[in-house]
Amino acid sequence: MDKQRDFVLRTIEERGVKFVRLWFTDVVGTLKSVALAPAEVEGAFTEGVGFDGSAIEGLTRTSEADVLAIPDPTTFQILPWRGDVDPTARMFCDITTPDGQPAMADPRNVLKRTLAKAADRGFTFYTHPEIEFYLLKSSQMENGQPVPVDRAGYFDNVPGGTAHDFRRRSVRMLEDLGISVEFSHHEAGPGQNEIDLRYADALTTADNIMTFRTVVKEVAIEQGCYATFMPKPFSGQPGSGMHTHVSLFEGDSNAFYDASGEYQLSRIGRQFVAGLLQHAPEITAITNQFINSYKRLWGGDEAPSYLTWGHNNRSALVRVPIYKPGKGQSARVEYRALDSAANPYLAYSLILAAGLKGIEEGYELPAEADGDVWNMSDGERRALGYAPLPASLDRALRLMEESELVAETLGEHVFNFVLANKRRDVAEYRAQVTPYELASNLEIL
Amino acid sequence: MSRPAPKLSELARLGFSELSEAGRLIGEVPESTLPLFAGAADPDAALRLLIRLRERSAADVDRVLADPESAERLVRLIGASEGLADFLLRRPEALDALEHPLLVPLDHDAARAVLADAVDGGADEVAWVRLRVAYRRELTRLASWDLSSSDAVAVLDTVAAGLADLASAALDVAIEIARRASRFPAEQVAATRFSIIAMGKTGARELNYLSDIDVIYVGDARRDADGTPVLGDDRAVEIATRLAIDTQRVVSELAVEPALWEVDANLRPEGKDGALVRTLDSHRAYYDRWAKNWEFQALLKARPVAGDADLGDEYLQRIWPLVWTSAGRDGFVESVQGMRERVTDNIPADEVDVQIKLGPGGLRDVEFTIQLLQLVHGQHDESVRRRSTLDALEALAGSGYVGRAEAAEFSRDYRTLRVLEHRIQLSRMRRTHLMPRDPDALRALARTSGLAASGDALIEAWQRIKIEVRGLHERLFYRPLLSAVAGLPDEDFQLTSEQAEARLSAAGFRDPRGALHHIAALTSGVSRRAAIQRTLLPVMLSWLSDGPDPDYGLLAFRRLSDDLGEAYWFLRMLRDSAGGARRLTDVLSSSRFVGVLFERFPEAAAWLENDSELRPRSAALLAEETAATLARHRGDVDAAALALRTARRREVLRLALAGIVGVITVEELGRSLSEITATLIDGILTLARRDTEGLEFAVIAMGRFGGGELGFGSDADILYVHRPTSATPEDAQKQAEKIVRELIRLSEDLRLPLELDAGLRPEGKNGPLVRSLDSYRAYYARWSLTWEAQALLRASVAAGDRDLALDFLHMADDIRYPASIPEADVREVKRIKARVESERLPRGADPARHLKLGRGSLSDVEWLVQLIQLQHAAAVPALRTTSTLDALAAAVAADLVSAADADRLRDAWLIASRARSALTLWTAKTGDVLPTERQALEGVARLLAYPAGGANALDEDYLRTTRVARQVFETLFYGPRLSSTQR
Repeated sequence: MDKQRDFVLRTIEERGVKFVRLWFTDVVGTLKSVALAPAEVEGAFTEGVGFDGSAIEGLTRTSEADVLAIPDPTTFQILPWRGDVDPTARMFCDITTPDGQPAMADPRNVLKRTLAKAADRGFTFYTHPEIEFYLLKSSQMENGQPVPVDRAGYFDNVPGGTAHDFRRRSVRMLEDLGISVEFSHHEAGPGQNEIDLRYADALTTADNIMTFRTVVKEVAIEQGCYATFMPKPFSGQPGSGMHTHVSLFEGDSNAFYDASGEYQLSRIGRQFVAGLLQHAPEITAITNQFINSYKRLWGGDEAPSYLTWGHNNRSALVRVPIYKPGKGQSARVEYRALDSAANPYLAYSLILAAGLKGIEEGYELPAEADGDVWNMSDGERRALGYAPLPASLDRALRLMEESELVAETLGEHVFNFVLANKRRDVAEYRAQVTPYELASNLEIL
Repeated sequence: MSRPAPKLSELARLGFSELSEAGRLIGEVPESTLPLFAGAADPDAALRLLIRLRERSAADVDRVLADPESAERLVRLIGASEGLADFLLRRPEALDALEHPLLVPLDHDAARAVLADAVDGGADEVAWVRLRVAYRRELTRLASWDLSSSDAVAVLDTVAAGLADLASAALDVAIEIARRASRFPAEQVAATRFSIIAMGKTGARELNYLSDIDVIYVGDARRDADGTPVLGDDRAVEIATRLAIDTQRVVSELAVEPALWEVDANLRPEGKDGALVRTLDSHRAYYDRWAKNWEFQALLKARPVAGDADLGDEYLQRIWPLVWTSAGRDGFVESVQGMRERVTDNIPADEVDVQIKLGPGGLRDVEFTIQLLQLVHGQHDESVRRRSTLDALEALAGSGYVGRAEAAEFSRDYRTLRVLEHRIQLSRMRRTHLMPRDPDALRALARTSGLAASGDALIEAWQRIKIEVRGLHERLFYRPLLSAVAGLPDEDFQLTSEQAEARLSAAGFRDPRGALHHIAALTSGVSRRAAIQRTLLPVMLSWLSDGPDPDYGLLAFRRLSDDLGEAYWFLRMLRDSAGGARRLTDVLSSSRFVGVLFERFPEAAAWLENDSELRPRSAALLAEETAATLARHRGDVDAAALALRTARRREVLRLALAGIVGVITVEELGRSLSEITATLIDGILTLARRDTEGLEFAVIAMGRFGGGELGFGSDADILYVHRPTSATPEDAQKQAEKIVRELIRLSEDLRLPLELDAGLRPEGKNGPLVRSLDSYRAYYARWSLTWEAQALLRASVAAGDRDLALDFLHMADDIRYPASIPEADVREVKRIKARVESERLPRGADPARHLKLGRGSLSDVEWLVQLIQLQHAAAVPALRTTSTLDALAAAVAADLVSAADADRLRDAWLIASRARSALTLWTAKTGDVLPTERQALEGVARLLAYPAGGANALDEDYLRTTRVARQVFETLFYGPRLSSTQR
């Protein structure tokens, strides 16, 4: 840590950094930033930078500076898109109260707390997200619709296409920021792209996702287009998910791996999945936190709508993927509900907490889902016991509100802030008269 | 070779305890050795070991036994240390150590020469073994010297220094071995400077027989004549790191001769994760910027002990000064408190009674206090910058920071504890700090330490020392504070005010100057009071500093002492009653409410000594006192009223004290406060009725008063009722109004306000303040509104004519316990509640934190219970109670609420009630919102028995408990959410 601080101060000096941005994330997952002059950074390490706590509550300003942002030097990076003119760097921050206690409302602290809980049981939690997003010609709409940059499809190579250049440039920038990219390709929707980050511990991944979103937006601006992580921008096209592969390690060994288990999945792995399935409904308001998220979840196209798991079953909520023989360390499970607009700190906290609960309580894993759950009739699904995920944010909030697991994991403060925030979203949405209503009702009524 | 066996009584006299076994074995050793066993701590073990040694190598042993003095040393050694006997069994050639006794323990250089000689330029595992054997041979000589001294306590520091020097010599030779074995090019190794800085007991030259050796490594490249490094520093650090690892292997890695000890480098910058070896610059840069305070405390003992001496000296010159700036850093107080906790915590429960090192009265306690004093005063005074505990104590006394007599006393205690520790470790050569439990082992310990004649006597002596050491912190740290402000006749030194203020800030006082001022006022002068305060204040200050607000505590204590002056019982209580004095500091440093009331009732401090004094007075006793007061002041209304109000304040103070020290629960508190309030009203009412006649008059308790649930600072909700007897209705009404006016006037108390709130009366604020029973009856019959029925659920007798009050309640029963309640009325209750939720909450208040009207807090629970009462009390008589919790229990018994739901509601009601009372106690003002401001939240948390730093925990607990209660409330009160209801 402290060597890191030295490194940061030295690098600022050597690289002539002009501004250092302190980043933190509010409860909704919006990146917030405070810019410091280089001379202020050392003080920020020791004393923190005071600001108004309501900034992370996702609420309007209520009080004067009452929390401190303490930069985490291990997250220091020069931001590549600023070029050499006025080099700018960034660090993520932890938020504390003036007497040095972690601020209860800081999402990053929520994840740290949850990771510490897992560490108490001997586990480290690794995640590997596949982030989808759309590239649009601009944020302006034409005829009330966003316009994608191309019309290509899954894995299509688009010669001279914006998307190709775009991905190359983004990957390059991410690598410059120390974020390893596993894979990138064109996704099924027009203008839709996917970039997979390499697996890392959950806190690093969450930080990386926040950076990733910024990088992608910046590159888009650079290339004269617009990138959106909105879960479902086109009603007829696939939504943007953030399938995340997760695994638990005990020391150096993968706790999900058991050579003799079904699909080489260990008992701990099975219980973790059982925990995810059991608690998925109550965590959905966090993993899928916007009104629009539910249009993706219930819009078909491989989005999971039912509480099922499967081995290589793309309609399942939790997938146990194939990995090459002898690669026990890469044993993992994929949670497919998460979308690209989630607050990664809170979402990962809850995925971990749900899985740990499964392990603690020794949940039994239900039978594997056989076949495409989407093509079954309601009766079939009921017969097989495949319960649905909540169909709307409103429903998801009501399930969350009654969840001790969510309250305990997020802490009372974040729990309340999220509920208040999202209830307001629901209320505002309900007040809208949509184009759909006008189109289908106006002329006949 | 047969000789007469010694008599068993002879063996017993020599100290054997297994006599027949000894009698059987004694023939196997030369007769001349027999008297020697008297000098062995454990003669039985010594005999067995001597026989085994002779079996192993008769020649070596007999050579030693041939010389009477050597023989005595051998028997003494193996009688005290099975561990060293094992070594001799393993290496009988080392027995010659006993033939060459030490005159004084070897210093580092001498020890180094001996060890280097033994190693003889070796570089391989053979060299390791030679080093270890030679080390243990010297350790044997040192132990033998220690055991031969006539006063183990007196030579303790010499032995401890000898042990440290032997260890540092071994490290130094180990470095040489590592250098010779290094695989790096020889000229590069030669160009690498490497030095070991010892920390802890090795650094301070006060080592135990067996301990980890705490070290820090420093390395860099040698410079040539121009000062240019002859090697890159990176490369030098790489080579030095290897040297460090290899040096550790030489002493610790598995080999034919066992490892010497663990070399522990975890005190280095960044601990386990940090680089093993750093350059000087890197060390300095680290400590300049980032070191945490406890790391400085560890550095206090740093001393270069092995490797390149110049480098070690440079390290010391650059790093050591930093130690002495740490007391001026932010966070020092917290870090000191943290250290103090570490000193006393973390002792496994099964070790508490046998720990010599940790826990109150242990070695760590002495070391902590002395280091703290050094850090505080070493900032400006170089003379106290000493490494060893004993040197430091002497320097502190020499420079006048602690008393000489005390220093001498604690020096003796510390040495004695260390001798015990040494002897215990020596026995098995194990790293332990636990007194043995086995009587035989205790007896051996008593014999080898020379501290007591028997095991029992030893334990007794140890207990005495523990008790003394426990008071050490107060006597060395706090007591000298008094010298800064008052001439202490028995002291040979005086602290300056700056020095005293530095100590007070280190103890957590936010305004040390103010505190010093109070200390001066308390202790100066020649009065008996001042003399006693001088003795008592040190420990009081120490206790005050444990509380959440030491500054206020000290101020309040001063006021109290001023008020009580020379009162004999007060000074006696402070002096003789540890429990009472401790409680006094606890309440004063945590409650302004109590502080204010104490100003009027200083004598209440006496109650703290005795739990029965803190028990609430019974209602009968209170009534008796009221009657006596009224009789005493007959004819003087104002004086009588004053006496009654004073009695109320006194009883409220009693409850506040009882609540803080945990003698009563919040439920008892509510009942007793309500009784005290009723008693006052009853007494005042007698005065107010003095000139009236022809009517009955009563006061009905309503709301939380009626429920027996008053908290500190609660308003008392009441109704006034009268009934004409001989007077005409008009006249009676007039007289009744006069009674009420008089009642309000006479009960007014500015110090401890009593708000008589008649807002629940018919027609509310627009209605007449008092009505006749008939008028109430007529009103309720005609107008009865649901909220009024609900309010009447809490009506109970407060004061006045009992028959009238009971008739009122009888009338109320028909209204509050209706045979059936129309659905519309139930809806009305719910609707009003919903409206209250949105309207009554003060603007800007956070509903989650409002203790009374907030989410899941008091009013949610109470409204739910009252609704159940309105609906079911007619059928379920147990529900006819004014107490919220009793009604809730009755509702569970009648299956109206599930036990699980009731638990959640009860928990929320209790935590909100407790927090509300605590808030008033903390601020001396009534508040309804759980504070967000940290110090206040912490103060409330401490009053609710959370540990220091519990603010966040209280916050989470409160929010969780009330959230869960709210869920229950919503389901049970508003009903299951309609499926179409959207929020």
